[in-house]
Amino acid sequence: MSKINIIGVYSDEDVFADAVQKIKDSGIVIKNVFMPFPVHRVFHILGLETRLPVMTFIYGVIGVGITFAFLFWTSVVNYPLKFGGKPLNSLSFIIIMFVMTIFVATLLTFMTFFIRQKIGPGKKAVMIDPRSIDDKFLIVIGKDPSMKKEEIDRITSLIKQTGAEEINERPEPEDFKEEND
Amino acid sequence: MYLTDARGILIKGNKTYSQVSGDVLRPLEAKTPRWWLVATFISSLAIAWGIYSIYVTISTGIGTWGINNNVGWGWGIINFVWWIGIGHAGTAFSIFLFILRQKWRTSINRAAEAMTVVAVICAGMYPLLHMGRVWDAFFILPYPNTRGPLWDNFNSPLFWDVVAISTYLMASAVFWYIGMIPDLAAVRERATSKIKKAVYSILSFGWVGTAKAWLRYETAAILLGGLAAPLVVSVHSVVSMDFATSVMPGWHTTIFPPYFVVGAIFSGFGMVLTLMILVRKIFHYEDYVTERHVDAIARILTFISLIMGTAYATELFMAWYAGGEYEMFTFMKNRATGDYALAFWTMITCNAIIPQLFWFKKIRHNLIIVFIISLFINLGMWFERYVIVVTSMSKDFLPASWAQYKPTITEIGIFVGTLGIFALGVLLFFRYIPMISIHEVKAIIKPTTETNSRKHE
Repeated sequence: MSKINIIGVYSDEDVFADAVQKIKDSGIVIKNVFMPFPVHRVFHILGLETRLPVMTFIYGVIGVGITFAFLFWTSVVNYPLKFGGKPLNSLSFIIIMFVMTIFVATLLTFMTFFIRQKIGPGKKAVMIDPRSIDDKFLIVIGKDPSMKKEEIDRITSLIKQTGAEEINERPEPEDFKEEND
Repeated sequence: MYLTDARGILIKGNKTYSQVSGDVLRPLEAKTPRWWLVATFISSLAIAWGIYSIYVTISTGIGTWGINNNVGWGWGIINFVWWIGIGHAGTAFSIFLFILRQKWRTSINRAAEAMTVVAVICAGMYPLLHMGRVWDAFFILPYPNTRGPLWDNFNSPLFWDVVAISTYLMASAVFWYIGMIPDLAAVRERATSKIKKAVYSILSFGWVGTAKAWLRYETAAILLGGLAAPLVVSVHSVVSMDFATSVMPGWHTTIFPPYFVVGAIFSGFGMVLTLMILVRKIFHYEDYVTERHVDAIARILTFISLIMGTAYATELFMAWYAGGEYEMFTFMKNRATGDYALAFWTMITCNAIIPQLFWFKKIRHNLIIVFIISLFINLGMWFERYVIVVTSMSKDFLPASWAQYKPTITEIGIFVGTLGIFALGVLLFFRYIPMISIHEVKAIIKPTTETNSRKHE
């Protein structure tokens, strides 16, 4: 038995953001929201956070460390060879270290994004409502079988009050996957 | 006065979100236009000539080029630096303006990034071909080998170049691609044919646009932008060190790294302007790339042109003030006057003088003149590299070893080939990828059209 969702459809970014705020304040659990472009207020309202910047910093440190280790090992340990009277452990290594830090951090940040988000080539896109990629904002609220009728009515009337254009009740697509936090 | 927004309305015509998708995706959904086929055919011919020239270079040898013992770097390196400069468009334009939160970049950044990727590919070919024995190109990579192992010279700018340019290509491609994912999803959802839907489905990585996805997406984009911004400065600094760390008169100067970086951004913006004026005309994007966009780029170019002029003047002044005999000869007798005076003055006129016309509002708003000036900038920047590479090498310290340099048909063929690659890349981009960033444009419509009214509240 598939899950049923109550979906509020909005078409204005500010109305939508206000609606997310109101629905959240009233204690209703918002399962997910879909947007055609990022509305930054919604991130704050839903309290979403990401640790990606921390990871990028760690990648950068790894990048600079590995690069220096490699340069030091090749130039000082493995085959010490003087070039133009410069010291073996040369200050000019900084340039390669600088660039390689960016290289490693960029590539791994890019990959981390896809791995964490679990998207990639070949992943099937399962849309709750295809219009959300064009011009509609969706608020998805899960309908629990144990919910009482009053509770469902409260949800629908709140969605209506906050300026939704449509309220749809639809079973969730079979292959729709929940996002990790 | 303080309440008025400097840029005004960025997207004209009170577009709805749906209209934005429709407008941007129209060229992708329409039938292939005839001009596109013709242009693709012409650029393919250019590529064919380029491939033939590369074949001649590889099968016969580097002797088919006009370079000689003295002038060891000819068109190969001139064009390499020129393309890298153009390749600074995407990063300089989209990343600097992205980090500075300049909203007007949204209609242009995608095209600029596409240009960058293609231009850097074009640039990367030249050093490889210049090696002569292309099949030994992997020697440049530091791999454990049976010769010791003898590692690369990690103090050499030529090695830094390899690292910097490959990183730059990777970073700009990654930044470009991540920016496209939500828009490719928009193409997927609107696609009617099965094949198109399948292809864009793979390309869009199964993007659906949940809140968490958007948060991670935006964070990733700003992180990648932040990482790539110093790269913009470092890549061309490293390219300039190929020259500046030598002892050649005219190359051995401390001004080179900033001078090259500014020059690169100058030529990049010049190419962006050339391309965007064409795009807005051909695809009827007047509502997205407004006169204000062109105006903003023209203003930036005016400023950069002043820096370029200052750099040229500084070089001449330092040659005179330092009193070095060889520097004096290179700058005064070999560049400003003498055999290469024409190239030198073309460079000065195109880069430092003509763009100053942008001070006049009338000129900034006349798109035909702006277009012509942007072509002059592209030309001028090519001549700058010509002047730097050829003058210093052809007449160095020992008059007995002076030599002239003239490109051969093979070198010209390779250059035309890369022009073809660039044109074809851009044409494919116009046809198959949304050339304006749809989600970013949608996000700025409401805030920017209402800026004025909101500020008065």
